[in-house]
Amino acid sequence: MTVTTTGKWFARPVAAAALRYGLAFASIAAAMGLARLFLYFHLPQPFAAFALSAIAITFWYGGNMPGIVAAVLASTIRYSHWSEAPAVSRAIYDLVFLIFAFLMMAINRSRTELEVRVAERTADLTRANKDLSLEIAQRNRAEEKLRQSEAYLAEAQKLTHTGSWAWDVAERCALHLSEEWYRIYGFDPEEGMITWEKRLERIHPDDRAGQQQAIYRAINEKSGYEVEYRIILPSGTIRHLHSVGHPVLDASGNLVKFLGSSTDITERRQAEEALRQAQADLARISRITTMGELTASLAHEVNQPIAAAVTDANTCSRWLNRDQPDLDEAREAASRMVKDATRAAEIISRTRLLFKKVNPQWESVDMHQIIREMVAVMSGEAARYSISVWAELAAELPEVMGDRVQLQQVLMNLMMNSIEAMKDTDGPRELIIRSQITENGQLVVSITDTGVGLPPHQANKIFDAFFTTKPQGTGMGLRISRSIVESHGGRLWAADNSSRGASFHLSLPTKVKAHE
Amino acid sequence: MIANSQSIIAAVAAERYFVTMVVQRKAKMVAIVDDDELMRSALQGMLKSVGLPSRVFASAEEFLNSGQHQQTACLIADIRMPGMSGLELQAKLNAEHCRIPTIFITAHGDTKMRMQALRAGAVEFLAKPFDDEVLLESVRAALAN
Repeated sequence: MTVTTTGKWFARPVAAAALRYGLAFASIAAAMGLARLFLYFHLPQPFAAFALSAIAITFWYGGNMPGIVAAVLASTIRYSHWSEAPAVSRAIYDLVFLIFAFLMMAINRSRTELEVRVAERTADLTRANKDLSLEIAQRNRAEEKLRQSEAYLAEAQKLTHTGSWAWDVAERCALHLSEEWYRIYGFDPEEGMITWEKRLERIHPDDRAGQQQAIYRAINEKSGYEVEYRIILPSGTIRHLHSVGHPVLDASGNLVKFLGSSTDITERRQAEEALRQAQADLARISRITTMGELTASLAHEVNQPIAAAVTDANTCSRWLNRDQPDLDEAREAASRMVKDATRAAEIISRTRLLFKKVNPQWESVDMHQIIREMVAVMSGEAARYSISVWAELAAELPEVMGDRVQLQQVLMNLMMNSIEAMKDTDGPRELIIRSQITENGQLVVSITDTGVGLPPHQANKIFDAFFTTKPQGTGMGLRISRSIVESHGGRLWAADNSSRGASFHLSLPTKVKAHE
Repeated sequence: MIANSQSIIAAVAAERYFVTMVVQRKAKMVAIVDDDELMRSALQGMLKSVGLPSRVFASAEEFLNSGQHQQTACLIADIRMPGMSGLELQAKLNAEHCRIPTIFITAHGDTKMRMQALRAGAVEFLAKPFDDEVLLESVRAALAN
């Protein structure tokens, strides 16, 4: 009986049947031999013992059938060699052998069961081992991927100068600070976790209040926050930081921690500043260029009061040179002269203001006043081409935040363009400036003319840099105007009128009253 | 037109004294048309100082609408004005056969414009700032005709 189960380590060799049965005979023969030997030496004859051992050995190593064969053999030998024993003792011996044989069979079965169980266990263990190895391999791969991904993340943080962080709200301590975070703040990673206070120290004193306020508000409202502040590195350098944080709540809705990132935006700030400066410079140059173009009309404009002054001075002399000088008339002429000269001075000073190099100043501006001023500035040029100029302004004027010189420049540029468009046209030449407030609180200023209109299908292209229809044009005026308006949060666009000419519209956001 | 001719004949026949009398009796006006207020006052003051009454108008339209052109003996006008220009006014008056001696004073004096104005019958074309005496001569000349 060979028991076959899974596992090669269990297979009992079937081919060794000869060996197994041979074992039966051999063991009994050995038992017999030993008994003879003992007999020879006049020792007690324990053939039974030897026979039982032989049977046991055969059962164990040979299997059940060979064992039975051995038992039968032993019994037979007993009969043949010690036949003088009485039948009872013979029967008892046989019974003993039988019982022994059964016992051995039982033992064999147990052994088989045990072997099966062991085999199963071994199979299980091997399987488990294999699974475990697979899992370990998988885990290793995953760890490798994680390491890889962390390396990429760290690299990305380094490239973008962004450090990630996590702060525990209750303990006010850091749970995670990335490598880049340390680098940004100028801390040494070897120092371990940086405390709240230590970090606070690095923040610029002027910005501490604002930053704290933002965080406390976020804690109270359990909301995210975004804040910008400066830090001072140990070397004394100032860097600009932009920090964003999200709250993490637990199951019961309590605030546990904040996760977020801090980015060093110093380069960006500097670039923005440089850009702003460049724009201001470009705008100023454009302004000067336009003023240059206005020189002719400026000369004419100033000429008027000067000519009037000359006439009035002559008149005054005439009154005084009479035989009877008329002092009242002379005085009147003289006072007219004063008015003339004052007007001339006013024109000059108004123009000089536009040449001044002013740094961009953000303040509350009165758009209506700016419109009135620019109408005055351009009146000379308008008169030169027989253009009527007037303004239709909204009754109410909301506050607009902006740089007044830049806004003046936009209006000047647009009015100049309108005058250009009407220079050579027939029919009435009108330049109208309107202001109105839209439903959503925007201020819209429209400059309408009765000129040649926009180039066909290019209502937006005209705002491109270097686009010009003038032979001597720079093509920058509208481009600069648009970027000024956009930097004020507004829009500048153009459209043909339904009748003659075109209109330019600019919208500006109005100052909203702060509720907080 | 006919009235003017009569007074011209009368004036030529008489002495300067009579000329003055005739001019005063007919109350001939000098009209000043200029959009610049300071210029208007200066010109009016100047004419007053030589005893010539004048009327001022802020625009060519105002002058035409006033109905004074029949009484106007001399017109001093600016060229560049919003709305109707001085040259357009001249053309309009010519079209109505209202030949008023016109003196143009302007800050934008270019030769082309000067030619155009003189060809259309202007008495004089002066650039600002002008010499008072030259203007007065032209006015007197215009009134003498």
